[in-house]
Amino acid sequence: MTKLVLRGVLVVAFFALCAFYLIPVYVPRPAFIPGFAPPPDMWPRTVSLIGILLGLLVLALAFRGGAPAEETVQTDGSSPRRMALRFAGVVMAFGLFLLALPYVGFLIAIILLTLTMVLMTGERGYRVWIALLSVGAPVLLLLFFNSALGTQFPKGALLKTLGF
Amino acid sequence: MLNDVLSALSAVATLQNFLIMTAGIWGGVIVGAIPGMTGTMAVTLALPFTFYMAPVPSILLLVALYKGSTYGGSVSAILIKTPGTASAACTALDGYPLAQQGKGGKALNMALYSSVIGDFLSNISLIFFAAPLALLALHIGPPEFFMLMVFALTTVAGVSGNSLLLGMVSAALGLLLATVGEDLYGSFRFAFVPDMQAGLSIAPVLIGLFALPELIKLIVLRAASKDEAAPLGAQHVTRDELMGSLRSILKGSVIGSILGAIPGIGPSSAAFFSYGEAQRSSKNGANFGKGELEGIAASESANNGACGATMIPLLALGVPGDVITGVMLGAFMIQGLTPGPLLFQTNMHEIYMLFIGMLVSSVLLFFAGKVTMRMFTKVALIPQTLLTPLVLLLCIFGIYSIASSTFDVAVLLVMGLVGFGMFLLNIPAAPFLIAFILGPMIEENLRRALAISRGDPVVLLSSPITWVFAVLITLVLGLTVRREFLKSKERRVQQ
Repeated sequence: MTKLVLRGVLVVAFFALCAFYLIPVYVPRPAFIPGFAPPPDMWPRTVSLIGILLGLLVLALAFRGGAPAEETVQTDGSSPRRMALRFAGVVMAFGLFLLALPYVGFLIAIILLTLTMVLMTGERGYRVWIALLSVGAPVLLLLFFNSALGTQFPKGALLKTLGF
Repeated sequence: MLNDVLSALSAVATLQNFLIMTAGIWGGVIVGAIPGMTGTMAVTLALPFTFYMAPVPSILLLVALYKGSTYGGSVSAILIKTPGTASAACTALDGYPLAQQGKGGKALNMALYSSVIGDFLSNISLIFFAAPLALLALHIGPPEFFMLMVFALTTVAGVSGNSLLLGMVSAALGLLLATVGEDLYGSFRFAFVPDMQAGLSIAPVLIGLFALPELIKLIVLRAASKDEAAPLGAQHVTRDELMGSLRSILKGSVIGSILGAIPGIGPSSAAFFSYGEAQRSSKNGANFGKGELEGIAASESANNGACGATMIPLLALGVPGDVITGVMLGAFMIQGLTPGPLLFQTNMHEIYMLFIGMLVSSVLLFFAGKVTMRMFTKVALIPQTLLTPLVLLLCIFGIYSIASSTFDVAVLLVMGLVGFGMFLLNIPAAPFLIAFILGPMIEENLRRALAISRGDPVVLLSSPITWVFAVLITLVLGLTVRREFLKSKERRVQQ
């Protein structure tokens, strides 16, 4: 399956999912609607149906060969598998950050996330800068937001249990 | 009226406002100068901080960032041939050859003078045209507003990316996402988790969509640029050189002001149009692309000339013309102000303050450009591998601080992944964002129009104004399809 066909299939599938499953299940209609006012599902359903139509057009163009020029995606020459693994790493890092946040607290979670992100970019030089960015910047930002703007950041259940 | 202006002037002329605008302009210039960091990113990153500010200073900060970054984009375009923003792409055509000839400082100065003049004239156009347009808009109802917003969306979809169809897909995605949350009648739409009952906030969606994909691109694709910055060299722009380019500067400013005021066009298209026009009409046309100061003047005056003008449809009609004004619309709404015709009746004091602040920021742009010129060669070379994680850090802190909500942080990260996916599929992000912001207003006006007409959709074509917009929508669609058809034909011939 080419990228152009995949794009069309994804667009059609997403809007079809919305129109035929999500809207009937997750957009409840109230028992009473005054006058001629359209119901709550009218607009999302209309947009979804238009989306399906647009997706079918994208598919048709992909098969017919009239699709727009694709911009070249610049890479470091790594294999698609390697890039897919990097992407999975990003998703995992984001997911772990959100999962760990209530337990280890905002500061530790964001220090770990920033360090992971810097290392995942492939950067191994500028070690002092990496340390400052990963540890110094979150601490400074936390102090700024906490003292200047009064934001309360989650301390983390685990750290509270340990007496911090 | 004079009393109102004087009162607004005294309200703007505070040290705090001056510092905010200066910080905004400087921040914008620096961010714009860094390749990969865009004005959109600067404005979106600053958005969470505006929650803690008064309405007018917060908008002035965003406007200052917008202007600063639009000029800043020319720095990396001239010194390392990598436009910091899309609107500076034309500037690189003549700026980099000049830098290679040892005239980088001269090119930067010409970019600065042109930007300041273009920006100033654009602000004047805003002051003169926004209020009459708002007055006109007072007489239009829900069907007209619906058609106006569809027109804005169509234009944005048409000019973003390579394909009208993909632009429309992007807009449909944005419209659908905007329906999440409580409906007019209390129904919770797509509320998969309790946090979604209140809908998705604008800030995490737009910041996630525009700031985070850059980091994900860097990690997954690792295509960071490693360019060498050219030295500044000769800096002084002579009087003859300035006067020789004055015609192109003025023409570029007018082009920028006109195109900027049309929703969806924005600074990039204005710069290309102005550059083409200057090349066509200049006696030095043959030298364009080889290091011609007039080329820089035409491009820069137009892209900065569009900045103030993009605020015309935003303030007068409540319709953002591009992504940055879309972010500003979000900022207005966060501050409890609703841009549109009523703003000119209920918040005239704030409007005057905004106008005065924008004029002052043009002057500040000049000084910020002059002072920061020496550090440009260093700024343009800050490694992206350190910058983009810093952006993530700022995004997460900023978003969390708005509502102390971990859910908003999750939305931010998910939207970053969505933005990256859209980039891979060549689906432009701008129509998505504009549709997400305009979505609730489009739906509300459509539903009101249908309720008034007892469910008859013909109401959308019931007045001369709706017909004008219908014709404009058809025209935009027709022209865009024609342009794409010709491009496709050209490609086939080349193959």
